[in-house]
Amino acid sequence: MQRREFIKVLGLASLFLHGWLRNLFAAQGPTVAVAQGADHAGITRKALAALGGMQRFVKPGQTVVVKPNIGWDRAPEYAATTNPIVVRALVEECLKAGAKRVKVFDRTCNDPRRCYASSGIESTLKGMKNVEVKHLEEERFKKVALNGRVLREWELYGEALSADVYINVPVAKHHGLSRLTLGMKNVMGIMGGNRGSIHKNLDQALADVNASFRPQLTVIDATRILTAHGPQGGRLADVKVLNQVIASTDIVAADAYATTLFGLRPTDIAVTRTAYQRGLGEMNLDRMRIVRV
Amino acid sequence: MKKVTSARISQLLFLALFLVLFLMTEYRGSDRIIAAVNGFFRANPLTAASTMLTVKGYLPLLLPGIIVLVLTLFLGRFFCGWICPLGTILDLVTGKIGKRGPIRALQGRAKYWLLLPLLFASLLGVNLAGLLDPIALLLRALTFFFHPLLGDTVRGGWRSLYGLMGDRRDLLDPGYRLLRDYLIPFRETLYPLAFLSALLFFLILFLERYEKRTWCRRLCPLGTLLGLISRLGPLHRTPPKLCPDCQACRVHCPTSFDQGLLQTEECILCMECSLRCQPRRVRFRFAGPRPRSGPVMERRVFLGGIAGGVVLAGTFRFREPAAQARLLRPPGVRSEQEFLKKCVRCGECMKVCLRSALYPAFLQAGAEGLYTPLLVPRLGYCEYNCTLCGQVCPTGAIPDLPREQKQRQVIGKAVFDKNHCLPFAKRIDCIVCEEHCPIPEKAIRSEQVELTGFDGKRISVKQPYVVDELCNGCGICENVCPLEGKGAIEVFRVKDRTPLKPPAGEAPPSSAAPYTGTRG
Repeated sequence: MQRREFIKVLGLASLFLHGWLRNLFAAQGPTVAVAQGADHAGITRKALAALGGMQRFVKPGQTVVVKPNIGWDRAPEYAATTNPIVVRALVEECLKAGAKRVKVFDRTCNDPRRCYASSGIESTLKGMKNVEVKHLEEERFKKVALNGRVLREWELYGEALSADVYINVPVAKHHGLSRLTLGMKNVMGIMGGNRGSIHKNLDQALADVNASFRPQLTVIDATRILTAHGPQGGRLADVKVLNQVIASTDIVAADAYATTLFGLRPTDIAVTRTAYQRGLGEMNLDRMRIVRV
Repeated sequence: MKKVTSARISQLLFLALFLVLFLMTEYRGSDRIIAAVNGFFRANPLTAASTMLTVKGYLPLLLPGIIVLVLTLFLGRFFCGWICPLGTILDLVTGKIGKRGPIRALQGRAKYWLLLPLLFASLLGVNLAGLLDPIALLLRALTFFFHPLLGDTVRGGWRSLYGLMGDRRDLLDPGYRLLRDYLIPFRETLYPLAFLSALLFFLILFLERYEKRTWCRRLCPLGTLLGLISRLGPLHRTPPKLCPDCQACRVHCPTSFDQGLLQTEECILCMECSLRCQPRRVRFRFAGPRPRSGPVMERRVFLGGIAGGVVLAGTFRFREPAAQARLLRPPGVRSEQEFLKKCVRCGECMKVCLRSALYPAFLQAGAEGLYTPLLVPRLGYCEYNCTLCGQVCPTGAIPDLPREQKQRQVIGKAVFDKNHCLPFAKRIDCIVCEEHCPIPEKAIRSEQVELTGFDGKRISVKQPYVVDELCNGCGICENVCPLEGKGAIEVFRVKDRTPLKPPAGEAPPSSAAPYTGTRG
C-alpha cells in the first residue's frame, strides 16, 4: 500500500469513525416495540414486556386511563376503532400491576351509546372489577393553558388530567386531512369544545396539545389497519390485517414506525413532522431502537 | 280516597304501562326496540279510522285499533274508563279541583263539530285527527315538555354536585347511573312547540274545574268516536234513567247523568253507579232494553261536519315554497303527500330519535304539517346505523326498514356554500364534513388544490365536494361543520328520493371475526 492510498483509506475511515463515535456518545434513541402475531392479547403483552412490562408505568394504587379510539359507530373488523382485545389486554395488565382503577373512555363522533356498543369495547370490558367504561360528562372538562403556537388554551378532560398514568391506544388508520391518524391525533378524544375548528392548523394544534399533555405510554393497534376512506371506513376492502401492536414511550416514534405500515415515510405526515420539529419525540427510524418480538 | 275498583286498578296499570313504555322508547344498546308506546297508538281507534280514511285502504299495523273499535261496539267506551292514560290522569287530579258547573258552549254538539270535520277532512286526504288525539296530546306533552324538564333538572343537579364535590361525586355515581339509564332522556334537547304542547295539556286539566272529565265527554274526538259506536251496541245500563227515589247516580257518575237519562255515548263504563247503588238496582246487561235517547245529532250538525271537513282539507294546504327547501323528513319518507296522510303526529319518532335530530314542525310544512317530524341537521343528524324512528312509527308513515336499506334512503342532498366554507372562503384546511361522512365510499370527497393564500404565499388546500350519487342527506356534515350558526354545508330537500344503489358486492362481515365478545 502506498502512502497516498493509506491516507485516503484513513481519511474515509475517519468519516465512519466519526459517525460511530457520535452514536456511541449520543443519548440512546427511544425504544419502539413491535409485536406480531394472530393472538392480539398475546402480542399486546409481548410488546409491553419488551418495554419493561406494565409495572414500569403503573405502580400499585394508581389510577390509570386507557384511552382507545371509540370515535365511530363501527364494528371492530372495520378498523375504525381500537381493537377491544388489545384494550382488554392493556386493562388487565394495568390491574395486574396494581392499578386501583382503570378508566376507559373517548369523546365519540357518532352517538356515544352506539360507539361504545358497536366498537365492542363496552361489552369486552363488562363485568371487570375496578374498570370504568363511562361516557364523557361535560362538566369534567377543564380549561388548560397550552400556550402553544396556535392554541393558547383548550378544554381537556378532567379524568385524563387527573390520572396517574395515561395510556394512549389509537388504531392506525387513514385520515382524509392528515393522511393518517395515529397516536398524536388520538389526543382529540380528550379535547372538549369545537374540535373541528382545529383542523385548519391540525399539525401545529396537535403538537400544542401533545406538548402539554404527554401520555406515559402509546400503544398503537395495527392488528388491522384502515388504508382508505378514513377515519371512519366502513368497507372491508379498505381494511388490511397486519396482526401488529406497536408500543413506545415516545409517541412520535410510535407514530413514525406505524406510518411505514402504510408504505409511507414519517416525513410524509405533517403531524409527525411538526411534532418532531418541535422536539416532542423522534421521527427518524434509524435513530430509534426497534425491538421486534 | 276513592274505593279501589277494578276499573281504577286497570286504569293505574295502563297508566303505568304507558309511562314505562314511554321511558323504553329510547335507544338502550339494542338495534331493535322491544316495546314502545306506539302500542297505544296502534290500538287507537281514532288514529286507525282517520288514517285508513285518508289513505283509503287497510293498514295492517293499525289492526289493533280496529279491534278496539269492534270491542267498543259490544262494551261501550271501556277504553275511556279503563285504559286511556289521559283519562286516568284527569281522574287522579280531578278530586283536588273544585267544580263550577259545565261550560254552556260545550254542552251542545261541540264534540261532533270537532270530530266530524276531522273525519271528513281525512276522507278528503288531510289527516289531522292526531292533533287532538288524547294519547298523542299526552305523549307530546311528555316528550316535548315534561321529560326534557325532568332531564334538565336531574342533570343540572348532578352537574352542580360536581361543582360542590368535584371528583368525590363519583361515590354517588351508581345512583345517578340508574336515573340516567332508566329515567331521564339521554340528551338535553329543547323542542319547539314545547310551550304549545304543555299548554294544551294544562288546558285539558284546567277544564276539570268546570265538571269531571270535561275533555272526555265534551271534546275528545277519540271519546266521541267511541261514543258514536257504543250507541249501536247491545250493552246497556238498567235502569236507563235516574230512579225518582234516590238520584245518587247523578253524584257518582263522572260523565253521563246531567240529564235524567243516561247518555250512552258518554258513559265510560267506570261502574261507579252500579257499585255504589245502595238498593242494588243498577246493572249493566247485554241485550237489555234499548234506552230511548234522542238523535245522535241534528242533520245540520252532520252537514256542518262535512262542510267543516271541506274547509279544513281545503284551507290547511298552503305551503311557503321557499321554506320547503329545508323540510327534511325522516329516512324512508319518499313522498311528502303520502307521509302527511299517514303521520298521526304522535311524537314517537321525535322521542326515540337517537341524535335528537327530529323536531315538530310548526308552520314550516304548512298548517297541515303541524307537529309532523322534521330533521334539523344543525341540531342532530340521522345516525347511519340507526333505524329506530321507523320501528316506533305506529302507522308506517316512516317505514320500518332493515339497516342496509335505511342507509340508502335519501333524506336530501348536501350542498356546499362556498362563501362560508373555510377551504373556499378563507383558503384554509378543514374537511370535518368529509371526515364524518358515514358513507363507506364517502359522499363528500376533497381535492388538493394549489392556491395563493391571502398573504400571497402559495399554499395547498383540500377543497371538498359532494358526490350526489352517494349522498343520502343524513346531515352529519351540516351538524359537525365547525362554523358558528349556519353551516357551510347544508342538506336540501329533493323531490326524487330514489334510494341509493347498493354498494358493489361486499359480503357482510362474518361474526366469526377474531374480536370475540364484540357482539353485544
